[in-house]
Amino acid sequence: MSVDLSHVRNIGISAHIDSGKTTLTERILFYTDRIHAIHDVRGKDGVGAKMDSMELERERGITIQSAATYCNWKGNDINIIDTPGHVDFTVEVERALRVLDGAVLILCSVGGVQSQSITVNRQMDRYNVPRISFINKCDRTGANPERVTGQLQEKLGLNAHMMQLPIGLENDLEGVIDLVTMKAIYFDGENGETIREEEIPADLLDKAEEKREELLDAVSMFSEELMEVMLEEQEIDPQLVKDAVRAGTLALDFSPVFIGSAYKNKAVQPLLDAVEYYLPCPTDVENIGLDLDNDEEEFPVTNDAADPLIMLAFKLEDGRYGQLTYVRTYQGTLKKGDSVINVRTGKKVKVGRLVRMHSDEMKDIDSCGAGDIVALFGVDCASGDTFTDGKITCSMSSMYIPEPVISLAVLPKDNKAQINMSKALNRFTKEDPTFKTFVDHETSETIISGMGELHLEVYIERMKREYDAEVEVGAPQVAYRETISQRAEFNYTHKKQTGGSGQFGRVSGYMEPCEDEDYEFIDKIVGGSIPREFISSCDKGFTKSMAKGTLCGSPVTGVRCVINDGAFHAVDSSDVAFQLAAVGAFKEGYAKAKPTIMEPIMKVAVEGPSEFQGSVMGSINQRRGMIIGTTEEGSYTVVEAEVPLSEMFGYSTTLRSLTQGKAEFTMEFASFKAVPKSVSEELVKKYQEEKNK
Amino acid sequence: MGKEDLVSNNPLRALGLEKEEGAGSRRVGLVMARAGLGKTAILVQIAMDSMLRDNKVLHVAIGEDLEKTRTWYTDILALMDQEKKVENFQEVVGEIMKNRMIMTFKENSFDTAKLGERMEDLAQQGIFKADCLVIDGFDFTAKDSAAALGGLKIFMETSDLKMIWFSALSHRDDDRVSANGVPAPCHEVDEAFDTVLLISPEDNGMKLKTLKCSDACSVDAGKALILDPATMLIKKA
Repeated sequence: MSVDLSHVRNIGISAHIDSGKTTLTERILFYTDRIHAIHDVRGKDGVGAKMDSMELERERGITIQSAATYCNWKGNDINIIDTPGHVDFTVEVERALRVLDGAVLILCSVGGVQSQSITVNRQMDRYNVPRISFINKCDRTGANPERVTGQLQEKLGLNAHMMQLPIGLENDLEGVIDLVTMKAIYFDGENGETIREEEIPADLLDKAEEKREELLDAVSMFSEELMEVMLEEQEIDPQLVKDAVRAGTLALDFSPVFIGSAYKNKAVQPLLDAVEYYLPCPTDVENIGLDLDNDEEEFPVTNDAADPLIMLAFKLEDGRYGQLTYVRTYQGTLKKGDSVINVRTGKKVKVGRLVRMHSDEMKDIDSCGAGDIVALFGVDCASGDTFTDGKITCSMSSMYIPEPVISLAVLPKDNKAQINMSKALNRFTKEDPTFKTFVDHETSETIISGMGELHLEVYIERMKREYDAEVEVGAPQVAYRETISQRAEFNYTHKKQTGGSGQFGRVSGYMEPCEDEDYEFIDKIVGGSIPREFISSCDKGFTKSMAKGTLCGSPVTGVRCVINDGAFHAVDSSDVAFQLAAVGAFKEGYAKAKPTIMEPIMKVAVEGPSEFQGSVMGSINQRRGMIIGTTEEGSYTVVEAEVPLSEMFGYSTTLRSLTQGKAEFTMEFASFKAVPKSVSEELVKKYQEEKNK
Repeated sequence: MGKEDLVSNNPLRALGLEKEEGAGSRRVGLVMARAGLGKTAILVQIAMDSMLRDNKVLHVAIGEDLEKTRTWYTDILALMDQEKKVENFQEVVGEIMKNRMIMTFKENSFDTAKLGERMEDLAQQGIFKADCLVIDGFDFTAKDSAAALGGLKIFMETSDLKMIWFSALSHRDDDRVSANGVPAPCHEVDEAFDTVLLISPEDNGMKLKTLKCSDACSVDAGKALILDPATMLIKKA
């Protein structure tokens, strides 16, 4: 591993599902001599692409877990995180983006910018990730990289410009013209490994010159030197252009666009050059840590190998080699055998083995330094934990983790499955913060919850395949919430005298809606009407009540409980008595505070041919959806809407049949909103029936 | 301030927009300004006023994306809440947003026939039957703009629209005006409009001049309304 960080690139490959990113990664590994044969994504040859290491991923042809791999291109160490393309696995994408310095956005030259690309782009914006684009599949019928570049500008708002022009398109794709060096590049040999540079074909020269002018105009903004040379009409040094493109890309003001066909082995090597030229090295980006000794004050990490160690665990895997923890080192050096401290738990652990991962294969290494992405063995931690060498107490900034919106019950088929299921769930919850599990004490069922139907489906499949845990699955349930709509007073006395010492406690005050927090407890007791030692009992009682509302048994959120009066008995008052008094007070106030049921609302984007716009809108309308609007572009229309999650089950099948399979949709959680009266009545009725069973 | 107060205290009452909403009465309005002065902000406030009065508004944005158009509404609503302290703000927002739909088109893919088709389809399916149409970015310099405008007026009758509001871009270096003072490029079609508003920067402020208005207007032309340059909200002078 080079010590010089300017030759390190930590990049993500992010894109729309089926835009060919796993194939592209496979080619990158081939050209960088990491693998010696090329395999198909869908595994026609029975091997499958290298990055799709999970059996399920190979079968479905999609990447579910982001596998990390490493390669070296012309002396540059490139760590690649392959990221999932389905929105249900968005947390994987977000975690990857958190530890990456730059990204390659892959687009299909036929499909162009689709709804998933918009989501991924938004995520990249959130983490300030400089990006370059690769318009793949230029060998496909209908390929139009110029149109896709236009979409990058219009739909994603990127200052995107083509760095290359195709030589031929569709079946006739022969190579590309580099608009910086003004050379035609061809890819010869069985796997396109031999690069041949020629003069630009005469019939493409005018267009190439025109496009180069456009490119130079756009990038001259980022280099005064280049602008001067252009104004003086001197010959332009290609390095000057590259420097300007790099400056614009790092500042997130410019996004260079490359084209090619990974499947046909065309123009992957120039993309690797571009990763080196235009994407940042670890020292080009500022990463922020939180100083825990100083009230979580933000500080920039140094990237210096001599400074105290800071590492972030961003991914856990339980594979054939035991538990594997992927870490990104932000500063300092870690050697095999060193001890590190998990900042969250305070536990000291010894790093027995340090490896560099290449999908599911690995290579032992002795040390890693700032900017590196490596994997550790035998380190017990959760995803998102920070490790240090103990000389510094800090945490890397926390990641945005969305709340689960869907849940379902899983029932193991036998005792063996029960044991295996527990192991699997323990592992999954550590690996994926959006996947949660708990036991419903009333039904004794194990409930799993996550970000969408597919998200949970994949974990159930993994339970079966990796842990041999056969489970029966219940119908998906929406994660409802309850809240209050108005302020209400309470004054409740808990009194019990059944022989022996009694119980007494009176709690008085009010509850009111609280928008900023899920729950807030305020103590306004004066004059000791409730003794200090019982104040926390009141808090406990309210907290307990928040766990289950009275309307449909869902958790209560957005409530501020204020106590301002009460009474106690010198002998009969106790912690339990005041907890029960608070539970009674909550119940009393809650009934008067106009409680409502809230449901998760999803932001849904359906994209398809305009001829189906009416049917798509109709289908959303039938699902209690509120159509926000439509965007019509050429023959395609995107319909954006907000739809309750409970109405979205099975929508992919409906959409397929409505549009002859030509439309697709993405959805992500938007907000919680009150359910309509009829739905609320139905939910209350159902809950009461279940309770009375 | 409640929803009703938001309607009754709206400075737009000076234009008498509510007075002509009886059966069969229609109004075609136009907001003109040079680039960047706030045409969209005015259209959004006219649309919002209509939504608050329980009318369904279809906002057509030509050459603008959906998210940006949506953000205009969110921002204007937040500013209104900041200034007027709206009671149960989120509830009001939830209620009036059901009265709005946005359609965006690329400049080269918009045509009035296509818009009519889409609107008819929405109405027939019972999804959205617009009462008011707002068209932001209509190209009045196009050769067939007069014919398209005529087509829209016929469509207004057949689909029972109460109002259509347009925005148009004027240019400093084009001094052509109609007899009513309507600047180019709308000077030749000013007969098509019942109300024409012009945003005019004057004395460190922005006046909302009423170049043309129906009898329902009670505004003293050129004096009564201004556009707050800090918030883009319409105010009484």
